[in-house]
Amino acid sequence: MNEVLEETVSIKFNRQIGKDTWLMGFRSDNLASLAKPGQFLMVHLGRTTKDPLLRRPFSIHRIQDKNQLMLLYKIVGKGTLLLSCLKEDDSISVIGPLGNGFTISKPHEKTLLIAGGMGVAPLFFLAQSLNKVQKQKITMFLGFTTSQEVILINELKDLNIDLSLTTEDGSLGITGIVTDLLDEYLDRELNSKPVIYACGPILMLKKVAQMAIASNLRCYVSLEGHMACSLGICQGCAVKANNNKNKPYYYVCQDGPVFSSEMIDWQVM
Amino acid sequence: MVSQPDLSVNIGGLKIKNPVITASGTFGYGNELIPFYDPSLLGVIIVKGLSIQPMPGNPPPRIIETPCGLLNAIGLANIGIETFIEEKLPSLVKIKTPIITNIYGHSIKEYAEMAKRIESVDRIAAIEINISCPNVEKGGMAFGTDPDAAARVTDQVVKNTTKPVIVKLTPNVTDVSIIAKAVESAGAQAISVTNTFLGMAVDVATRQPKLTNIIGGLSGPAIKPMALYLVHKVVTNVKIPVIGVGGIMDYQDALEFIIVGASAIQVGTANFINPKTAIDIVRDLTDYCLKEKVSNINQIIGSLKTNGENYEKSGDKKNK
Repeated sequence: MNEVLEETVSIKFNRQIGKDTWLMGFRSDNLASLAKPGQFLMVHLGRTTKDPLLRRPFSIHRIQDKNQLMLLYKIVGKGTLLLSCLKEDDSISVIGPLGNGFTISKPHEKTLLIAGGMGVAPLFFLAQSLNKVQKQKITMFLGFTTSQEVILINELKDLNIDLSLTTEDGSLGITGIVTDLLDEYLDRELNSKPVIYACGPILMLKKVAQMAIASNLRCYVSLEGHMACSLGICQGCAVKANNNKNKPYYYVCQDGPVFSSEMIDWQVM
Repeated sequence: MVSQPDLSVNIGGLKIKNPVITASGTFGYGNELIPFYDPSLLGVIIVKGLSIQPMPGNPPPRIIETPCGLLNAIGLANIGIETFIEEKLPSLVKIKTPIITNIYGHSIKEYAEMAKRIESVDRIAAIEINISCPNVEKGGMAFGTDPDAAARVTDQVVKNTTKPVIVKLTPNVTDVSIIAKAVESAGAQAISVTNTFLGMAVDVATRQPKLTNIIGGLSGPAIKPMALYLVHKVVTNVKIPVIGVGGIMDYQDALEFIIVGASAIQVGTANFINPKTAIDIVRDLTDYCLKEKVSNINQIIGSLKTNGENYEKSGDKKNK
């Protein structure tokens, strides 16, 4: 098992950057030095809080200035709403880094990142790391429902990424969804055997995974799961394994959150 | 130097160094929380519920949070007793505290078989019988809601082991004291009160249950007052030690159960939130005893101050 820490950290900033979307930063030398792209943290608002009760999992969105970690989150319920109310110098309890993280592609391999909505969170950290090793320009498809939700465009361009943006309502970028772009991309790039990394809504991941499997491409998806402990104890975050007699279910917290696409039984998703 | 208070308690013949136990299903197979503290400091660890054959568990979603509570329908996912004994148990050699296995059977025969298997394993100090899991189709709960069936399961386990037998009761009955008395008569040396309360949650947008299993078991602070009441009811009606379980988050919660009459307590859901909860409770109970000049924790067990007759007593008068 990787090293896991519990730390109380002091928030450096917590600001809204898009519709219901917030970016939070805090410093931790230990967590920053251990964290790998694709790993996540379990955040608790404070020891005495009983509602919300459980910690909430957040992927590590970004690390900068060596020890500043960032979380990108959308307000979807009480936990994230309360998180958004925290101010500079407030503290949160964090457990991490958790999970396996992404397998980094080799320097000569072509890399495609596909993010749906908040799925951009872990892929940003991945893009930061890939940029250091990749000799080829990274391609990214980034999709949102509408232009109000669009975030991080300039930051991603700063990473020298070949970025294609979609919105479902066509209010910005290409009208449609990210998987629409994948067909055309595969027609063009299949021979170069790109490695695909995807994070986003489950139906998007299903489509991406099935297309990657059909094209015999390496594809890593980062999944979400309802989890209580994040340490492999509660066995809450089960996801059906594809054809694994020894293990009918994987646990997102320990076996994931990143899975090679053929590991998952997409039929039940 | 002030002498340290004696926190040791006796659970049906098993003497333990402090009354803090980890609840089954919330401490994995014993070594998952080692990155956070040394489990040797706990009174006992109870490992994940085991069955004869491995069980895959229920389809997800298996857990949903509700206000101050956790609704789960894990479905007793476990590796099976043989794999636990062969592969997991040897890795727990460094943990210097008793290990209790929680067992679940599809039939009385399976409970008996598991008791027999565990009897030959020295490292396992006692058996906790799960007759209270709400989340499996032929639920153990079927045994836990019928006093005769509960007694028969207990009897068969007791007959096949020399180790202390603890029976974990379900709260999902009309009168828990009837089941408690039945398992006491059948030879149980201790009783754990309580397992999760049956519950549901519905997604109003889709009108679907939030758990694929439709129903689940509720744990966490939401159930503490109800669990405390059930412990009160059981200790008033049986003579064997009772282990209090249900929503314990800190030492004050633990003390409530102990004052009501629990000889020990189990920490469950709290392990998921603060992995160090159990060990923090051991430390804080020690500090409490020092501050309150309690030299032995047994002095507080059942020290609830009430005025007049205890209305929860049922049947024959209990000899105190």
